[in-house]
Amino acid sequence: MSRPAIRAVAALAAVATAATLASCASSSAPSGSGAPAGDPVTGGTLTYLEHQTFTNLYPPQAGFYPNGGVVNNITARLTWQNPETLEIEPWIATEWTVNEDATEYTFDLRGEATFSDGTPIDAAAVAKNFDTYGLGNPGLGLTVSEAINNYESSQVVDEDTVTFRFSAPAPGFLQATSTINSGLLSPETLDLSLEEFGAGNATEIVGSGPFVITDERLGTELTFEAREDYDWAPPSFEHQGRAYLDGIHLIVAPEDSVRIGSLLAGQADYIRYVQAFDEARVESAGFELHAPQTRGVNNSIGLRFTNPLLSDVRVRQAIVAGVDAQEVVDTIFTANYPKATSALSSTALGYKDESSFYEYDPERAQELLDEAGWEAGSDGIREKDGQRLSLTVYEAKPQPLSKQTLELVAQQLKKIGVELNVKSADAGTYAEDIKDPVKTPLYHSMVGRADFDVIKSQFHTENRNTLLSDDAELDRLLEVVASEPDPAKRVESSQAVQDYLAEQAYVIPLFEEPQVYGTAPYVHGVEYESVGRPLFYDVWLDK
Amino acid sequence: MRYALRRAGQAAIVLIAAYTVTFLLLQLLPGDAILIRYDNPELGLSAEQIQQIRINYGVDTPWWQQYLTTLAGYLRGEFGYSTQYGTGVLELIGEALPSTVALAGIGFLVAVILAVAIAFLSTLSPFGWLRRGLQAIPGVFVSIPVFWLGILLIQVFSFGLGWVPIVGADPVVGLILPVLTLAVPISAPLAQILIRSVDEVRLQPFVTVVRAKGASESRVLFTSVARNAILPTLTIAGVLFGELVGGAVVTETVFGRPGIGRVTEQAVANQDIPVLQGIVVLAAFTFIVVNLAVDLLYPVLDPRLRSGSRRANAGTAVPESTPTPVEASA
Repeated sequence: MSRPAIRAVAALAAVATAATLASCASSSAPSGSGAPAGDPVTGGTLTYLEHQTFTNLYPPQAGFYPNGGVVNNITARLTWQNPETLEIEPWIATEWTVNEDATEYTFDLRGEATFSDGTPIDAAAVAKNFDTYGLGNPGLGLTVSEAINNYESSQVVDEDTVTFRFSAPAPGFLQATSTINSGLLSPETLDLSLEEFGAGNATEIVGSGPFVITDERLGTELTFEAREDYDWAPPSFEHQGRAYLDGIHLIVAPEDSVRIGSLLAGQADYIRYVQAFDEARVESAGFELHAPQTRGVNNSIGLRFTNPLLSDVRVRQAIVAGVDAQEVVDTIFTANYPKATSALSSTALGYKDESSFYEYDPERAQELLDEAGWEAGSDGIREKDGQRLSLTVYEAKPQPLSKQTLELVAQQLKKIGVELNVKSADAGTYAEDIKDPVKTPLYHSMVGRADFDVIKSQFHTENRNTLLSDDAELDRLLEVVASEPDPAKRVESSQAVQDYLAEQAYVIPLFEEPQVYGTAPYVHGVEYESVGRPLFYDVWLDK
Repeated sequence: MRYALRRAGQAAIVLIAAYTVTFLLLQLLPGDAILIRYDNPELGLSAEQIQQIRINYGVDTPWWQQYLTTLAGYLRGEFGYSTQYGTGVLELIGEALPSTVALAGIGFLVAVILAVAIAFLSTLSPFGWLRRGLQAIPGVFVSIPVFWLGILLIQVFSFGLGWVPIVGADPVVGLILPVLTLAVPISAPLAQILIRSVDEVRLQPFVTVVRAKGASESRVLFTSVARNAILPTLTIAGVLFGELVGGAVVTETVFGRPGIGRVTEQAVANQDIPVLQGIVVLAAFTFIVVNLAVDLLYPVLDPRLRSGSRRANAGTAVPESTPTPVEASA
């Protein structure tokens, strides 16, 4: 029983007592499945099991995987990012031009595409989408998309041409038009408030993708139907026209053993979030595992240097050297979770191998701590000026096996005389404590997005700011990444950030995080967008 | 009439008390729904944007002001909107309720059947070892975690034997395993009370008289003992309502069923105060109704309680050690 559940019961029990007292793919070919298959078959309904219930279908908030899995299938985007090459390809936009300093983008639209209520996907509709995502709509509670920087305005040139302008170079914008955060919605849907994008209203969301939501059972089930008239898949796809499936039945099954069991017992066709310890069971039963990478900032532990205990770079370097990421991967995870070699994933744009900074070296760690003046106390934990080198980290619920990972890290750190307390907390305490570097000196997180900007999202003080940084130099380096129009120079600037993070020992990269799915042998055409959200357009069933 | 009015007044006081207590408890918790949902690194919002959202939701006002605003809303029949989903609280509860009522109602019925079966079989059993075995069952049942039982039933009957699908099952079939999961732990205290009060009633003089007249053991049980033994059980049944709701939370989560339990679990996890308030008021209301129904059933089962003051007659007829009915002394 989860803690929230226990609290719910306790709360109700308390009230009950009171009452008593008182009263009385990309693409080209269906490639996902291993077994050679015949020609795709049209028809059938896919039973897909989700780990968590979706919270909101407003595309800029679709980063949460349960939201993204839905938005990815009900919306088309201006462009498509090929998940293998990471190139940006046409989709709703047939072509585009970008001015030299990346402050003006003009897109030509294909014209014949429509939203599921029949309204055309024209320049005015696209302009309204990006005005909303780029500027937000405070009156409706709609937030600005994290993927869009420096947005200024849109201009409808003609019915099929739209121009976007930026107050400063926005080289990440083209990639942003391909992400689910920029999923195209009908103009009327964009007049909904943020609440109306929430649960209970899913059938009102009018998108532009191959599927529409036809039914919702609050918090537990969604039903999708294929759009018969959908005919605007990215031109690079071999498959055009409507989706092969007639529909999808998405069911929320939070319990791991229920999801795995349903798949193996033939009650479900496709499940998200196969835990590392269940992978062997799925494969040995003859089922398929898919582990698309999330290609962004790796699963890592941030060292919040504004905490006085971590202000000395030698202490941070010691902690980095005292963590054995290989052991984490070997004991808790599988081959689908490669050991990290930089703050960025090796499949991310701009990646640089920084492994020399991240070698496990407990002896070096001990030396560094000795140099920094931390001496072993009576219980083996180091002390200095009467202070213990004792740090806290909270279990991060969205990260796979976060608690187990952190507990192993704590064991490793104990060997060099650093105490790490791994805490679990209710949502409220967690939300408050992680904003305080004294209460939460170490922070476990990751973020996936297949663009250079992802590193700024994670570390800039105006974005996620996971380090709770006050380092102006770090901010400056990150701003260069987000505003450098020349792709070659963007690679350099991204590598400069990775160098800086490694030299300053600001992060302990652990592993490159995948999303792990399981499918039945008769499920073909399994594909993912560039950061591992499922695409059901090409899926077909052979049973 | 006066009795009914007094009961209605009590009910209103209980409702407001339940509402107030939850409101105060929730205020004491660290954080709030807006913080949890928006002031989260995952969204990358700036401090000004979050402040604007706080103002829009009115969580920047002092707690007593929020308390009065929401209380006034309740009195007007407006239950507010979920801060997590934006859905109306009444809509959220209204959609989840039928599923939970079906689960809890049938679960309770099955629990009663189980409890009666255990108690009567153990009483009638001619063998000591069987009797002792049956009497041990409630102790075992009460110590089984609902969560574990649910998983076990799914693994054995759905995945192992393939008798009942749990994904995409039709509504009736889909109820079988959740109902069992819920019924087993609820049946345990019921059976325990029933066994004990059957034993106690059987020692009463009037039973000896019936037996002396030549009635068989089972006849004695069904005609004379059962009726009297059922009173304390019924009282406990009313109190068990709370446990039923708690069991539903776990059962619905394990089986991925829609319902109040799931809604509550989510609302607690996200400190969705408007939804929690709605659920608490609903729970308190139902609790009052259930207890009222139990009270009104006493006179039906026990003719001695039908006329005049209940207290005057009760002392002589009801065995001393029987738990006093919840309402009898009010």
